[in-house]
Amino acid sequence: MTIEIKDVCKSFDGRQVLKDFSLNIEEEHSYIITGPSGCGKTTLLRLILRLEEPDAGHVKLLGDYKYPFINSGTVFQEDRLCDSFDAVTNVTMVNRRVYRENAISELKNLLSEDELHKPVRELSGGQRRRVAIARALAVPSDILIMDEPFTGLDEASRRNAISFIREKQGTRPLVITTHDTSGLEFGRIIDMGID
Amino acid sequence: MQNIVKRIIAAAFWLLVWQALAMIVHNKVLLAGPAETVATLGRLMGDNSFWQSVASTTGRILAGFVAGSALGIVFGYLSYINEIVRELLRPLVLALKSVPVASFVILLLIWFGNRNISVIIVAMVVFPILYTNTLEGLVSTDKKLLEMARVFRMPREREIRYIFLPGLLPFWQGAFKLAIGMSFKSGIAAEVIGQPLGTIGNGLYQAKIYLETGELFAWTIVTVLVAFICERVVLFLLVLPSKK
Repeated sequence: MTIEIKDVCKSFDGRQVLKDFSLNIEEEHSYIITGPSGCGKTTLLRLILRLEEPDAGHVKLLGDYKYPFINSGTVFQEDRLCDSFDAVTNVTMVNRRVYRENAISELKNLLSEDELHKPVRELSGGQRRRVAIARALAVPSDILIMDEPFTGLDEASRRNAISFIREKQGTRPLVITTHDTSGLEFGRIIDMGID
Repeated sequence: MQNIVKRIIAAAFWLLVWQALAMIVHNKVLLAGPAETVATLGRLMGDNSFWQSVASTTGRILAGFVAGSALGIVFGYLSYINEIVRELLRPLVLALKSVPVASFVILLLIWFGNRNISVIIVAMVVFPILYTNTLEGLVSTDKKLLEMARVFRMPREREIRYIFLPGLLPFWQGAFKLAIGMSFKSGIAAEVIGQPLGTIGNGLYQAKIYLETGELFAWTIVTVLVAFICERVVLFLLVLPSKK
């Protein structure tokens, strides 16, 4: 499966955030999208997820993919967790094939045991971010899309999260947006701030 | 604990005010005092027909309450997912909210007679309360969470359980609290006008005819107590799923 992004343009309220952007996303590859705020990183991810449609150009799923939308393990720019439920429930709720035992085992890679069963509203920003990363990795998916996944993480947690993402990636393509590319040199770095 | 003491003191204060007023008026027809009301209530409670009336009225009011709530929730959801349904229901909901209950009671008496009048009236009063609150709760659901659910292809029943219900609960708690109180007020008002035999409304009407103020107060106290118990039960049932 390949995602073809070809000559994509996208504007919001008359302000162009993407202009003639092209990229092919292929299996077993990692793409690190970087650039200043407002350069269109999040918009690009939303176009891949079909949450936005391009004004011009296209985003196509090539190959014999059976769904119209890509099945993605996603970390959004915000955590998008259900506040009154604990970390384990936040991971299991999104997919019937993610069982409690699997969720606990995935979460334990990023959080301590006592943090797993508290309502996520009681967790710190960094802890919530790690729950969002674990959720994205736990669901069966064809691609990993992560928008600023390391926001709020200290250096040790960031390194741990990167290594966990790499371990769980398998053959899936990985697209990460970030301001800070350190530790992400394994992927192809695409700087959207450079014309 | 301190709150309970404060409430007991407040209740005792108003009982004293009631007793003082009864002593000043000194006319049982105009104002029965608390002691006489309790005595009347004790006498009524010894009679089987009293309990039958309470059960009959409560059963009918709860039937109307359940029907009105269910319809309000279902149509609230349909209005959320379909703009046409929302526009179609707007005038009906406005009419149900603003037309006096007495007008509906008289019309329904002509159409259906008096037997189940309180069921229909209560359903008509409860429907717009639950409809409006369900719709508002659904509209105010976090759109970013819904987008997350879509991206993860979250099953619909889980979307309802984990995203919609937590947002709806505060709206429903307020709505059910208001609706249960309104159910007893409107249901008994309908019985007073419609006069079905063996009901609290009929008991109140008889008290009025025979100028039995003590009985009037006794029936009123029973109504308030039953409404309070029903409200507690409904609110308990509402928070039960989130405690699991």
